[in-house]
Amino acid sequence: MPQEPTDEDLLAAYQQGDPGAFEALLRRHRAPLFTFLVRMLGDREKAADLAQETFLRIVKGAQAWEHRARFQTWLFTIARNLCADHGRRERFRRADSLDSEGPDGEPSMVESVPGTEIDPGRGAESARLRPVLQKALLSLPAEQREVFVLREQAGLPFREIAELVGVNENTVKSRMRYALLALRKSLLAAGVSEELAADEPAVDARLGRA
Amino acid sequence: MTHAETQDLLLDLAFGELDAQRAAEVEEHLAGCAACREEKAALDEARRLSAPFRAVEEPPPGFDERILEAARAEAHHQHDGNVGKVIEVTGSVRPLGVEAARIDAHAPVKARPAERRRPKWMVRAALGGSVAAAAALALVVSTTLDARRTAERASQAQGEDYRIRVKPAAPEAVDSALHDAAANGELDRGRAAQAKEHEAAAPATESAPPAAVEKKQPGVVDVMQGPPAAALEKQDRVAPVRTPAHNVPAKRAAEMERGREQAADALAPPRDAPSAGARSTVPASSGDKVAPPGVPPAPAPAARPQAAASGQAAGPPAPRDDSQAAPPKLESRMKAVAAAPAAPAPGAAGMEANAQQARHAGDYVLAASLYRQAADLRRRDDDRPSAAWNLAHAVECLAAVARFDEARQVRDELSRLYPGETTALSAARRALREVDVPRTLPASKQK
Repeated sequence: MPQEPTDEDLLAAYQQGDPGAFEALLRRHRAPLFTFLVRMLGDREKAADLAQETFLRIVKGAQAWEHRARFQTWLFTIARNLCADHGRRERFRRADSLDSEGPDGEPSMVESVPGTEIDPGRGAESARLRPVLQKALLSLPAEQREVFVLREQAGLPFREIAELVGVNENTVKSRMRYALLALRKSLLAAGVSEELAADEPAVDARLGRA
Repeated sequence: MTHAETQDLLLDLAFGELDAQRAAEVEEHLAGCAACREEKAALDEARRLSAPFRAVEEPPPGFDERILEAARAEAHHQHDGNVGKVIEVTGSVRPLGVEAARIDAHAPVKARPAERRRPKWMVRAALGGSVAAAAALALVVSTTLDARRTAERASQAQGEDYRIRVKPAAPEAVDSALHDAAANGELDRGRAAQAKEHEAAAPATESAPPAAVEKKQPGVVDVMQGPPAAALEKQDRVAPVRTPAHNVPAKRAAEMERGREQAADALAPPRDAPSAGARSTVPASSGDKVAPPGVPPAPAPAARPQAAASGQAAGPPAPRDDSQAAPPKLESRMKAVAAAPAAPAPGAAGMEANAQQARHAGDYVLAASLYRQAADLRRRDDDRPSAAWNLAHAVECLAAVARFDEARQVRDELSRLYPGETTALSAARRALREVDVPRTLPASKQK
């Protein structure tokens, strides 16, 4: 049975000077990480920037890395912090002061999302629901959004999300629950049905991965 | 299984995180509990509705190239036996090590020494693990990703040697001062070692407000790669590290930390004759020496002329007014603070304004101290939100210069005094989050 090397094996190989190992790591994580950032920010260009930055930080930090946390946790920790910093910068740009921070202390990471109407005339093969979903997602508080995306899309188990976010697992689950219920409400209100959602092309990204 | 236990596990069940036995227990409860069934159904429905989100999106074309190139360069680095670790500081410098610690979000700081044929002092610092020293000397500010991209793009088009460059230009003052530091480090290792302690306590992180970066004003310091041979030759002799004058306050802040009197001394014109002589070729330099705290300005005659050389190597000289505008401002800031204990406070609002200004100038220690004083005043006026925010800003500033212990103290003070100010509190916590969840960050393993 061919044994896939783990992320941690690959990183260790890279530490030993094998650039190919890093390439394998990149191939494995580039799309999920990029997607995470797209969902968090609602902006592909920014997401690409931050995803690149994340990997560059991994490159720089690789030598000092110790096998104390999973590679993926490290990766998403960096990405998540970059996300928050990005939000802070955006806010700073607008107000030049942190004093004008929003009531929940979280930056509003995105100003607006275009195309929030469902166009029933378009074929099911197009990603017509995506903007509606993205808008619903962006309307969640960032702390709920990140938990939702990390669980649903990145496929991290609650325990790891808890470690990554720095809160306990019950808090993570409670955020997830609020996120799901709020999404359900806003998606239904926006006219998304289960049939529409099922038509939407979607790759089942490692659902239920332990 | 009780109802409450089941409620707790519904999500785990929905996401398949339960083992078979637990799952069966939850299912069993569900069969007899309408409320739980309803909740479970709502969760499942939400997941089906949001299923398209699980689609994984591909990054844009060309996404990998820069990353792989960096990865190869780094691997090469580690194993060509030529130089020590690459030092890249993203964030502030921590005592005795470098890690991606927290810095003011507005101003990530990077330092990257030359890849090959690095200036001697840099190599020494890197190999010796004197990271704080190296970082303090070679801190390169690149405040936005865009600036970084520009630098890296430029680097791809050129050779493979790094040098550190400022654009558009920087005052020679800082250049020569930094060079002083470098020369001192080389001439007197014992002193440099002593200095490390001070540096560790007050790393010279420097920053510029984002606005300045976008406009490519002085304040942007970029890492450039691969200069032509002529530039390299100069680089070999001198570290072309230059920072604009208005970024100097971080170092001043470091000095302040050691004692206000010493800080005041630092403002005085340099006393050592050789330095003064050399500076006559670069008139703007006198007010703005940058040396690692604790390294007294030592005569460094051998290195002196090279400072001027690097000034030419790295770009056109800065406009005079740029380099001369900063020192008086600095000086007055210093005086304001030095006088603060004696003179009546300028009022909370004024103090906040000064703090903000100091922060924008990268003078984080000063800013933190002003914020804390302002917080006291606000507290006296019973303006709790403002007081709490001032403390939160102080935490951010302290975290930005890696004073995590102090930052935590202030954060704790904030949470003790103003538990109701959740927004400020969460800002303070955020500023410390990378430090407080360190398990996911690589620990520094500097030798």
